[in-house]
Amino acid sequence: MGHYRVTVDTGGTFSDFVYINEDTDEVSVAKIPSTPDDPSRAILNGVQLLIDQGVRAEDIRYFCHGTTVGTNALLEGKGVRTGLLVTEGFRGIYEVAEQSRPHGAAIFDIFYDRPAQLVSASATAEAHERVAFDGEILKALDETALRLSVRELIADGIQSIAVCLLFSFLMPDHERRIREIIAEEDPSISVSLSSDIVPQIREYYRLSTTVINAYLQPILARYIANLDARLLEVGIKTPQKYIMQSNGGMATFGATAKKAVATVLSGPAGGITASVQACRMTGFQNLITFDMGGTSCDVALIKDGEPSVSTRGKVEGRDVALPMIDINTVSAGGGTLARVDRFGALDVGPQSAGAMPGPACYGRGGTQPTITDCNLALGYLSEGNFLGGKMRLDRAASEKALQDNIAGPLKSDIHHAADGIVRIINVKMQEAIKAISTMRGHDLRDFMLLAFGGAGPLHACAIADELGMAGVVVPLFPGVYSAMGLIMSDVKHDYIQSRLGNLDKISASQVESVFAELERQARHDLDEEGFRRDQTVLERSLDMRYAGQGYEMSIVCPAKLDDTGLKGLRAAFDEQHKKTFGHHAAGEPIEIVSYRLRAIGQVPPVKMQKFSPSGLKIADAVRERRSAFFNGKMIETPVYQRDRLDVGHEFQGPAIIDQLDCTTIIPPGQKVRVDSYKNMIVTKGALS
Amino acid sequence: MKAHAVTAPTIDPVSIEIIKASLDGIVQEMQNSLFRTGYSTIIRESQDASCAIMAVNGDVISQHVVLPLHIGAFPACTAAILRDYNDIEEGDAFLINHPYEGGSPHAPDMAVITPIFIGGTLMGFCGSIAHKSDIGGPVPGSCSGQAKETFNEGLHLPAVRYQRRFERSQEIERIIAANSRTPDLVLGDIRGQLGSSRLGEQRVQELVAKFGYELCLGCFDRLLELAELRMRAAISEWTDGRYEAERFVDDDGVDINKPVRIHVVIEKKGDQITFDFSGSADQTKGPANIRPPLVKAAVAYCLISLVDPHIFINSGILNAFEIVAREGSVMNPRFPAPVNTYNPTVHAVVETLFAALTRIVPSRARADGCGSRSIILGGRSTYTGKGYVQYEILGGGAGARAMKDGASGTSVNQSNAKIAPVEIIESEFPTRVLRFELIKDSGGAGMFRGGLGIRREYLNIEDARFSIRSTKHVIAPLGAAGGGEGRTGDIIVNPETAGEKRLPTRYADYPLKAGDSFRLDSPGGGGLGDAFKRDPSQVLKDVIEGYVSTQAAERDYGVSLVKVGRNWTIDESATQRLRNQS
Repeated sequence: MGHYRVTVDTGGTFSDFVYINEDTDEVSVAKIPSTPDDPSRAILNGVQLLIDQGVRAEDIRYFCHGTTVGTNALLEGKGVRTGLLVTEGFRGIYEVAEQSRPHGAAIFDIFYDRPAQLVSASATAEAHERVAFDGEILKALDETALRLSVRELIADGIQSIAVCLLFSFLMPDHERRIREIIAEEDPSISVSLSSDIVPQIREYYRLSTTVINAYLQPILARYIANLDARLLEVGIKTPQKYIMQSNGGMATFGATAKKAVATVLSGPAGGITASVQACRMTGFQNLITFDMGGTSCDVALIKDGEPSVSTRGKVEGRDVALPMIDINTVSAGGGTLARVDRFGALDVGPQSAGAMPGPACYGRGGTQPTITDCNLALGYLSEGNFLGGKMRLDRAASEKALQDNIAGPLKSDIHHAADGIVRIINVKMQEAIKAISTMRGHDLRDFMLLAFGGAGPLHACAIADELGMAGVVVPLFPGVYSAMGLIMSDVKHDYIQSRLGNLDKISASQVESVFAELERQARHDLDEEGFRRDQTVLERSLDMRYAGQGYEMSIVCPAKLDDTGLKGLRAAFDEQHKKTFGHHAAGEPIEIVSYRLRAIGQVPPVKMQKFSPSGLKIADAVRERRSAFFNGKMIETPVYQRDRLDVGHEFQGPAIIDQLDCTTIIPPGQKVRVDSYKNMIVTKGALS
Repeated sequence: MKAHAVTAPTIDPVSIEIIKASLDGIVQEMQNSLFRTGYSTIIRESQDASCAIMAVNGDVISQHVVLPLHIGAFPACTAAILRDYNDIEEGDAFLINHPYEGGSPHAPDMAVITPIFIGGTLMGFCGSIAHKSDIGGPVPGSCSGQAKETFNEGLHLPAVRYQRRFERSQEIERIIAANSRTPDLVLGDIRGQLGSSRLGEQRVQELVAKFGYELCLGCFDRLLELAELRMRAAISEWTDGRYEAERFVDDDGVDINKPVRIHVVIEKKGDQITFDFSGSADQTKGPANIRPPLVKAAVAYCLISLVDPHIFINSGILNAFEIVAREGSVMNPRFPAPVNTYNPTVHAVVETLFAALTRIVPSRARADGCGSRSIILGGRSTYTGKGYVQYEILGGGAGARAMKDGASGTSVNQSNAKIAPVEIIESEFPTRVLRFELIKDSGGAGMFRGGLGIRREYLNIEDARFSIRSTKHVIAPLGAAGGGEGRTGDIIVNPETAGEKRLPTRYADYPLKAGDSFRLDSPGGGGLGDAFKRDPSQVLKDVIEGYVSTQAAERDYGVSLVKVGRNWTIDESATQRLRNQS
């Protein structure tokens, strides 16, 4: 049967599986109901599905998992009881956080509160110590006092402790000594040091990241240990077992268990990784990813084959100072609700019908129309093909919801009302796309829209057209696309060290010595994960700024730096600053703030299955015709069956393409070509 | 009704929503462009800047809310341009920062406004207002707490034509450059604003090309009308009547020990509401005055807070109410009364309005909060040898809310600055931070407790000039519905030493010596409701968390606590006794 790769992306409702036969490149997919109480059960079910087909467990040589265990624990406040140790006199760092409120409604909302602290003040203790801005110890750690504080925390039932002391990113000795003391007092306590997790200047962001890690670490470690044991039980012995991280790279089970906070955006990262691969397959190097599901829509930008990554972000309103793929989320999904207010204004979103009651057409008691109801009423979705026909949709219920709540009050008809709602939600998603592209200086005419998620391909072609984009790519399996990304990633670890230094005064050897230490750590970690030297790549960059500015820019740094290279950094910074901000200050002193190293462990790539035309006729792919709304009226539209579309097939909109868990809409004036990976490439114009 | 209701019914609701979402996107794009291309950290980091699209009469159609007060400034600045120029052409751009000629809160807030022409017809304006690092005057930053007239507050430009046929006026740039301590930053920011405005202009033209002139214009009107309608509809549900409240600002910076009264009488009948501030103090000698555009913005801020924080914000909201600001008063001073430190007064106006309005909307009642404050240290950096300005903005405790405690250590009302990281301050400036924590017992007692203020203590390592512009060091944040006052703020040089010295609430240019320390306490928020009715278990929790002392628990809340082993518990009988005594 050959060797297999298995990946699973755990979602709230379904766990999506992708299986690939490494010998034949053949891909198959499955959706297994998730088991939220213990997500590993669903994973085992999905693995069993493959074994039941006769594949031997030991032939599964690669396993990668996108998990929401950490994210959900954070979201639901179900982490472990966590304690915090700060420098004496500095409890305010966590309690004040950034001090400000988010832009927009929160400024007006007197009931706004920032997310509740993961560590209460009573679980916070102070370490009598102080390090100065240059790393000098102003006051040595009072170990006796600290030991007493630690004992109190332990007595209070604390299971995990975050340690974040001022300037520990320069002088980690006190934090390290604290870890030893905690271990002496109780070796079962999980300890997260800010100088390990993210040794970076700006105490609040470092502290917040460390606290999140401490809060999630024992949970993720337990989950991974349990999953690993279960996989071993069924006979999956490969060391190639990975978890997807927020930075778009994987980490081995062992490495993940040490840095839980790096997985908080594990889920969406898979889709972006798959999209990066799509760049190689399709030849389109610039993509906007468009992942629309039931409640929200995630968009991200890939330029020249590289996703846009930010060095810091917020997850559920909490600050995480780790590199993460830059994803813009807007509340727009199949469940988004529409209503008309008493002034006759039509509001679409942000409220969602969620899973319960869900859209009116689910027949679970929903009476307000949602986007899914509109798509059904417009003929884009069919009653019988939702979730591969497993769930029948009630079109009459959608129409009634639209008539009663929208068309009636607006004195319109159902179709125009539904079409209006879809156009409004499309504009909101278009604005989310602009926010990550045109608003950052990119030209959308150079980008293709890559549509996935349950609802992405329904809306993508209309949106790409409105935005003047180059076209749309709909991958072969849009419904399990995040799991697809897990098939073909690399291990990626990010290391950082803040150390302020004036670029004019620092020597190349000083810079080299900081990188040397980061490289030592990286080598150690990659060795431990079993990578040979020829499988590893180390990428350096420097966060720099004009002295005194409040923000930094990352500049790529050459592998071996000499004094000429150092001068080159100045020019590179000025140029990047001009490119990003429109101006630069050639005379101003430049500071290095942080040193960054990305360590990549290359996983042998898998070939995506390439198909040859099998001789199927396009006419045979047409399953039926249904009446759907285009250009202001209902017209008979051909419905193609996705799995009958063959390489090289071309057809024209209006068209509908149905597949197991997804429907694609091609409006009039656009044409489709099926490429050799069976991606649908949609562009403007008529067939020649 | 000022809105043009006639055009409204002919426009379909789908187009309105699409154009509204597009306008939202355009102002967001303008804002991003400004944040990205602005020179100064004030724009890029503090994000003290906002953008808007305006109708042909200056009404704000769409604004990305970073700073709520600018909603009043944009129409006033645009009105000045329309008043002073009758030859506006495509390719023009105007500058204005004059609080009296236009509507800038103070001179550092410079507006750049450009007309939008569609086929030769003026359709509206794009613009932005952004705080400038320095525009001259006696102190760096141009905001002296001791200014006695606007002539002490930096360079003032009435509406001036900065561009003609897309060409910048060299003369105007040279005048500005000659009057600023940081000319490169100021001109760089102005050009960034200009770029953002031109981008907005181009995007609006594209929108019109797509949807048509008539439809877009109709939507502008309808959006203004809808905002007004929604606001009026909410107001009409409130109980009719006359509501009155007052608050006091510590002093104006010049007449120390003389509190400044802010007073409002609200007359509400049906969907009409009028805010009469005539009872407020006469205009002040020091810079505590605010101009009517700011008063309007403060009223709009409160109404939006009370009605729906998610409402689509434009000038229509300003059309839903009337204000009376007596000429010669602190709310409508006569030229050239100084205005630079407007924030303490605006905080007081917001709190006066909340005090009066929450009698109508008790579900959104809120006690007073900490206001906002800035400290500035100036000197020479040991690190670069260059002159430096260390500028920090601090919040404190927010007032308790109906059914919720106030937030601790936060920005409140219209202010929204981030706090400066300790590690950045110490790495860049000759300062060591000794302490950064919340102040125990600073939150006003109440059934719902006020938020806690912030304490920051600093050790000065080299000589420096120190200025502070704070509020509520004398007059405490008031509680609501029987709640207690929040603790006042304080600024003390060399605390707990023989040389201990308290500075006034607003003070410019105090000479700090190397080795001097100072302690800044920001106020706590007021409490809401009777503290003796606070759930004792909540009081216990506050004691355990270190937010309330056992003494205060007993004195202010009538909750007696005893320590059993390592844990505090409620002494039920003693608590009952204490609470029955009252």
